[in-house]
Amino acid sequence: MDQEYFDKLAQAVVDGEADIAVQLVNDGLGKGVDPIDAIEKGLARGIMKVGEDFGTGEVFLPELIMAADVMKKTTSILDEKIKASGTTRTTLGKIVMGTVKGDIHDIGKSVVASVLQANGYDVEDIGIDVAVEGFIESVKQNAADVLGMSTLLTLPLEVMGEVIATMKEAGLRDKVKVIVGGCPVTQEIGADAVGFDAADAVKKVGKLLGHS
Amino acid sequence: MKGFTGKLVGSLYPITDEECEKVHKAAVRVLEQGGMRCDDPRAAKMFEKAGCKLEDDGKLVKIPEKVVMDALKKCPGSFTIFGRDAEGNNDIRIGDGEVHFATVTGRYLRDIRTGERRQATRADAVEGTLMGDALENVHGLYKAVMWLYDEPKICNSQMLVGEMMKYTDKSTTWVYNTGAEYELPDLIKLWQIAAGGEEALKSKPHVLGHVIANPPRVIDVNYTDWLIGFCDAGLPITVYSALMGGATGPATLAGMLVQAIVETLALMVQTQSYKPGHPLCFCSFNPAMDMRTGLWQFGNPEYGTVGAGISAMAKYYGVPCTGFTINDSCDTDEQAAYESALKNYTYALSGISLMWDIGGMAGFNYVDWAHMCIENEVAGFIGHYLKGIRIDEERLSVDEILKVGPLPGSYLREAHTKKWYREEFFMPKLSNRDFFESWERGHTDLLEKGKQQAIKILDSHESPVPSDVQKQIDEYLDHVKKRDVGEADKPPKR
Repeated sequence: MDQEYFDKLAQAVVDGEADIAVQLVNDGLGKGVDPIDAIEKGLARGIMKVGEDFGTGEVFLPELIMAADVMKKTTSILDEKIKASGTTRTTLGKIVMGTVKGDIHDIGKSVVASVLQANGYDVEDIGIDVAVEGFIESVKQNAADVLGMSTLLTLPLEVMGEVIATMKEAGLRDKVKVIVGGCPVTQEIGADAVGFDAADAVKKVGKLLGHS
Repeated sequence: MKGFTGKLVGSLYPITDEECEKVHKAAVRVLEQGGMRCDDPRAAKMFEKAGCKLEDDGKLVKIPEKVVMDALKKCPGSFTIFGRDAEGNNDIRIGDGEVHFATVTGRYLRDIRTGERRQATRADAVEGTLMGDALENVHGLYKAVMWLYDEPKICNSQMLVGEMMKYTDKSTTWVYNTGAEYELPDLIKLWQIAAGGEEALKSKPHVLGHVIANPPRVIDVNYTDWLIGFCDAGLPITVYSALMGGATGPATLAGMLVQAIVETLALMVQTQSYKPGHPLCFCSFNPAMDMRTGLWQFGNPEYGTVGAGISAMAKYYGVPCTGFTINDSCDTDEQAAYESALKNYTYALSGISLMWDIGGMAGFNYVDWAHMCIENEVAGFIGHYLKGIRIDEERLSVDEILKVGPLPGSYLREAHTKKWYREEFFMPKLSNRDFFESWERGHTDLLEKGKQQAIKILDSHESPVPSDVQKQIDEYLDHVKKRDVGEADKPPKR
């Protein structure tokens, strides 16, 4: 496939056009495009561009979230192909993220997930109201490098503590870095870092994984 | 430049329509019974021609209501101060429901690089002009600085205007400075060169001239010179009283308003007699005296209130209105911010078409470019407020509300959100919007952000004026310098 195809893929991410992007991905796979190329030469360039523009204040949350949604829809198709072929793709790190049990606030966590994705991380967003077992299960299944937990409320802070304690029991705590965030989270409560906003989260994750 | 518009422009006046009538009647009583002292025989002739009675050997002019009303009929309800860009993007419509912001001036400059308040130079005039040219909410420019301390008095205005014409194609404003012999003809010549010739200036005037009465109730010789000069060159003018309540005007707001209208109407009659149909607007410049220090004060509520009252009277007469709105604070602090914001918003609500405020400090004492960047942002805030809430089918969002809710739906991912948020939400450039803990761990304060923006502009912004026009201006300034001081001109390098 030529450069024009990969440019179109990148542009579909920048424009937040999920339907166009999925169509392009399916067309490409039909014509024998390497799924790793589709991500690295196309989609990833798009999301990185959105990430840069977000950093400089040229685009804002709606564009970022929509671009991240395009990434999610397209990479799920491509990752299946990659898995089936027995190969793997490399990223800056695998991050599992979710809003803890007792809280259904989705947006802040989604924003942080999008910004991390836009900065080259592979993010598995496991949603809202996630119980302790849900986090543990997902961390294992995805072989996560980092676990991110979020809440907007005060009471669910306890759940974060429980997750960290359970990780220790399961022997996961030494292998997985933990970052927490959300309005009431002003100290680390046993995690490795607190992300005070999306940009701060990117900075701290980079530090935890030794990228910066 | 297209100004700010919206349903709140002209929505709030400090006097009712019936009270405008009372102010008018009061002003007419003063004009008919007391009149104006007229220090210039040419001015007296203009009033006589309009139908006024001259007394005291022509030195006192009494102006009947009929003369006022006849002259008002000749004033255009709106007009354009043109930008000098080919596309017309910098044109300013005065009196058409648009609100514009312009820079203002000061005797000194706070050096953006050292923080020192010092005397301004010609090089500062260049940089001040570039600042105004670059900022997106600065629609026009006043004098970049009031005085060039490194240039002789005799040609000070010429060098200032010359540099301004070289470094912006936005419209500018002029009120006389030196009274030097060639000040007026030289400036007209410079504006003509900038416009592309005498006729080009007449067809697209890019300067608004100021003509001011001497309060209380005097028509001045110098300003008659400028009134004639501006009218002959085809430049629209703004006419006003520069009274100070409690000193050169009464100590009641209503009294300040009446006297301001008396003097403004007199200048309006004089102008329409000299050149019927000439575009003019009213203007507010009416500080009260601080009764503790004796200084003029611009930041107090009475200043903004009387200014909005002048705008109400301008609307009553069908004439556009402009105004000055500087703050009194000696430092770029909270006082500077709240005085500017409150007064500018009051002015904007009262429909004032053009206000000179951006960057000015301490009642015309100095100009600060960091503050200029902050006020540029405040202008953006005000522009956004003026829109009000726009009600139409798509903005009412009923389909969207039905589609997204109830929870767990979110609007963040919706095309409707992406389409509208930039227009409906204000997107500040300098104001802090951080999460407290992030801010606490490290931030740049507002003034520093303003300073950084100013330095970035000065490092990167280039003059939009073509080099051949700059060269013609340089040649004329060289001629002025040789004529006035017998040496070649050395313009600052850029």
